[in-house]
Amino acid sequence: MGKGYMGKILFVDLGKGTFQEEVVPDEVYEKYLSGQGLGAYILYDRIPKDADPLGPDNILGFVSGLLTGTGSLFTGRWMVVGKSPITGGWGDANCGGTLSPAIKRCGYDGIFIKGVSKKPVYLFVDNGKPEIRDASHLWGKDTVETEELLIKEIGKKNTRVACIGPAGERLSLIAGIANDKGRIAARSGLGAVMGSKKLKAIVLSGAKRITPRNRDEIKRLSSKLNKIVQLKLPFPSGPMTAYVGTLIGKMPTQMVQDGLLYKSLLQKWGTGSMNQMSIEMGDSPIKNWKGSNEDFGLSISKATNPDVFKEREMVKYHCYSCPLGCGGICTMPSKYDSYEETHKPEYETVLVFGGLVMNKDADSIFYLNELMNRAGMDSISAGGSIAFAIECFENGILTKDDTDGLELTWGNTEAIIALAKKIIAREGIGDLLADGPKVAAEKIGKDSINYAIQAGGQALPMHDGRNDPGFALHYSVEPTPGRHTIGAQLYYEMYQLWKKVKSLPKPKFIYHKDTKYVADKQKAIMAAACSKYNQLYNGAGLCLFGAFIGASRLPIFEWLNAATGWSKSPEEYMEIGERIQTLRQAFNIKHGVDPKNFKASERALGRPPLEKGVNKGRSVDIEKMMADYWETFGWDAESGKPTKETMDRLGLNQ
Amino acid sequence: MPYTITDACTGCTACVRKCPVGAITGERKKVHKIDPDLCIECGVCGRTCPVNGAILDQLGNACTFVKPALWPKPMISIKDCMSCNICIDACPVGCLSLSKGAGPGNNHGYPYLSDEKACIGCSFCAVECPVDAITMTAPME
Repeated sequence: MGKGYMGKILFVDLGKGTFQEEVVPDEVYEKYLSGQGLGAYILYDRIPKDADPLGPDNILGFVSGLLTGTGSLFTGRWMVVGKSPITGGWGDANCGGTLSPAIKRCGYDGIFIKGVSKKPVYLFVDNGKPEIRDASHLWGKDTVETEELLIKEIGKKNTRVACIGPAGERLSLIAGIANDKGRIAARSGLGAVMGSKKLKAIVLSGAKRITPRNRDEIKRLSSKLNKIVQLKLPFPSGPMTAYVGTLIGKMPTQMVQDGLLYKSLLQKWGTGSMNQMSIEMGDSPIKNWKGSNEDFGLSISKATNPDVFKEREMVKYHCYSCPLGCGGICTMPSKYDSYEETHKPEYETVLVFGGLVMNKDADSIFYLNELMNRAGMDSISAGGSIAFAIECFENGILTKDDTDGLELTWGNTEAIIALAKKIIAREGIGDLLADGPKVAAEKIGKDSINYAIQAGGQALPMHDGRNDPGFALHYSVEPTPGRHTIGAQLYYEMYQLWKKVKSLPKPKFIYHKDTKYVADKQKAIMAAACSKYNQLYNGAGLCLFGAFIGASRLPIFEWLNAATGWSKSPEEYMEIGERIQTLRQAFNIKHGVDPKNFKASERALGRPPLEKGVNKGRSVDIEKMMADYWETFGWDAESGKPTKETMDRLGLNQ
Repeated sequence: MPYTITDACTGCTACVRKCPVGAITGERKKVHKIDPDLCIECGVCGRTCPVNGAILDQLGNACTFVKPALWPKPMISIKDCMSCNICIDACPVGCLSLSKGAGPGNNHGYPYLSDEKACIGCSFCAVECPVDAITMTAPME
């Protein structure tokens, strides 16, 4: 009888051209689940501490979630893991689409690839039979072309592809890995790791059964959840979302947020539902984090209104096992009709190519979105690089001589597109910016580092820690810094973990906004809970937007027990999350990363504070918050290193 | 437990041609073999085999030949379907596809049987559908 996982992993050595299957003991799944937990367990021991992230000793892993394919919902996430060339420490990236079940249908929970091939290759796994094939004809192709050519070449209907585009081939440290024509595992620079191995793609075609212990129980739980997911709250119009944002921004107090509201927004518009609302409420940084909502007011930000993007949506896009469908496939604006369609631009992409660079041309955002998807490039980092370059130009640090003649001024749409193309091609100034804003600043000097808004080299996403200090904390304290998908004060509210894990604090229903900025022990406990839960649901292969629905409605603990036959309590599952998080931090320590260096850029912490807008006068006491978080985790409060006692308690010193 | 082939096999290779995962091997006119590591228990070998008793199912019961025209086919209730794609992924022969949108007011895509001839009637789509939106229906003779 199955336990939801496949119990096997595949190792590929591209240098030697060899394959090895390995049986994973049940105890490993009990301690780390699957997904990036399994990835951390495998990579911690096997990547030597001096391994060059872009060299043969780095191991790139593609891992599926424990719950993927069991009949559970929202569990179609796959993860890619390895040593990050951006941070020099633990790297992972998480993506939806169709690849996650395909890994398991080939008989594996993970596929791990080491070595470097002499020539471009792709890995084809045909129902458990691996083969390395020549990819010379694909090198230079974009992600969409590559996927289409490979599916044609394999000739099987159930073929799934994950590949790099030109960005990964050119070892851009902001390259990701794409599947399903443009959904990208974007962060940590793992596309460059794939490129360094000369591995263009992995191609999976399998039909193995995924067998949970009790599928009927999982289906019962899924049906119940689906009834909640399909409840639709009435939203009058896109413009209304902006006014709600304005109202939230002006109020001195705030209410605990229920994820059901976000679920409904995602269902109607996708992540773009937050575009204008977020700007208005101070959640989205403007003008490279220097401006405020007043610089990108309603009359300008209407270009990013969710209706603008919904109007072009031809069909909703659901990742595997998702009942919600926040994605969409859109037509291209006529000005940019060199491409037929694009995935609906996500919130992050809209805001980095919108407010962050002061661009008010929505059509160009569709185009930039498709350019990024086809290049296999992280749009957050690319936007961060462009905003950095514009500010350097505006301050005379870069001149037209440096920019190949581009007039890099705020909101200059044509220059922004031209620069994005140069970054993808690593051409001229694009070469300087193709590894993210921090690397560029280190090369330029002249105090330009002040304009590189990042944490540990990872460009910051479009959620402002000056509005929700929880974001600033997680940007600064996670083993993968600069992530908006792990925790925040808002996320703690929506996760509703206190309803299942009785030791966790329940937030006040209404609170004054000033209290968000008080760094206290309770906030550290909440943040640590977010991190643990995130690791747990990533191990299960579950989507953040599923987690937003709230632990009282989302039966993740019950699904896991039904899939595996275990009878673990929510507290025991949270300890698994704690173990994975601590192992990721230990990976960083092993590889010589100093956790203190992950602290987010001063500007993003409100140092100095903004002089206008919703976040006027706000700053974050990040040093105390980081120390409190580390201490809560049982890591040394001064250094962020997991203590021996903690490692022993979690069974990580064996 | 995978399907197995007994000594009654005549080596006609009908099952080899239908098996979606290439689990069956053997020389023509000799007893064939199912690789237990590859078999996914879809049962198409049993339905295809013209010799009653030559193939045993996962419980050890003898399979009987069924005309392909009578194999059960998935009937999908759009009302209950949540467009999650699980059925499409579960299909070992790729005979289900997603529509390009349901129409005005509802632009979710829904699964449909796009390649009826390829369907082997395994019912994996129905088994894996979390909301039981699929029922397997055998055509009447």
